[in-house]
Amino acid sequence: MAMAEKFDSLEEHLEKFVENIRQLGIIVSDFQPSSQTGLNQKLNFMVTGLQDIDKCRQQLHDISVPLEVFEYIDQGRNPQLYTKECLERALAKNEQVKGKIDTMKKFKSLLIQELTKVFPEDMAKYKAIRGEDPPP
Amino acid sequence: MENFSALFAAAEPPPAAAAAVLPGPGTTELTGSTNLITHYNLEHAYNKFCGKKVKEKLSNFLPDLPGMIDLPGSHDSSSLRSLIEKPPICGSSFTPLTGAMLTGFRLHAGPLPEQCRLMHIQPPKKKNKHKHKQSRTQDPVPPETPSDSDHKKKKKKKEEDPERKRKKKEKKKKKNRHSPEHPGVGSSQASSSLR
Repeated sequence: MAMAEKFDSLEEHLEKFVENIRQLGIIVSDFQPSSQTGLNQKLNFMVTGLQDIDKCRQQLHDISVPLEVFEYIDQGRNPQLYTKECLERALAKNEQVKGKIDTMKKFKSLLIQELTKVFPEDMAKYKAIRGEDPPP
Repeated sequence: MENFSALFAAAEPPPAAAAAVLPGPGTTELTGSTNLITHYNLEHAYNKFCGKKVKEKLSNFLPDLPGMIDLPGSHDSSSLRSLIEKPPICGSSFTPLTGAMLTGFRLHAGPLPEQCRLMHIQPPKKKNKHKHKQSRTQDPVPPETPSDSDHKKKKKKKEEDPERKRKKKEKKKKKNRHSPEHPGVGSSQASSSLR
């Protein structure tokens, strides 16, 4: 849960920072001289806001982000799609490899069977050394 | 995920006897014959991301972020890739702006020209829509700012297209009110203050 708190703190600072910028934009889009003080305050909040975000770095120095996820963000796509695609690819590869392993096991069992017919004594020695494999 | 269990139900542990006599392949090591998603306790994650539909756009992930975030970063030089490839060169400390520095930010009064107007896209808030509209016409800074951020945190979902269409209409109305060609209160104020 400490991990979630670290992210919450960063998220909060980022949200405040973005909100400050958004308000700056509103002030500037139709500026009135009376807004000058408010503008200056917000400009300085940009600096302190960045300071606060920078302070969050220490707590998160061990977090790694895969570069590929940035591709999704740069294209305006949901980064959760990256996670989804990773999991799907992992499962697909897992299934593929399991298929290969199962096929190899079947082949091994058939090979031992046929070799035992042709070389019974040698195969008996082989099995004594290797031990019995479970049926595929 | 439906045939998950069926596919991996037949997987059996490797023979211990063979490991004791000769180290054979796939005896104690983790291989693809095991369901690795279960092994690494990722079933919950799998169901969360692959069990239901994940929305396509970045704005679905960050609904409260203002601006047109669904546009590619290359369009407005806001890509993360460019930040990594060419990190900006900056000093190591954050110093507040002094009074002398702030004189550089004394602005002329009046509306910005069309090309610079980027910030009218605000995070849509269903409940506060009325308040927002009022505050925008009366005051540059919405007075309800503290409560706005609370509302933002409470609000989780947003209606995309109808909301954005409405905001675009409001923006267009405001733009017409402030344009130099449009005869009105706003433009006459602007022309008197500009030097």
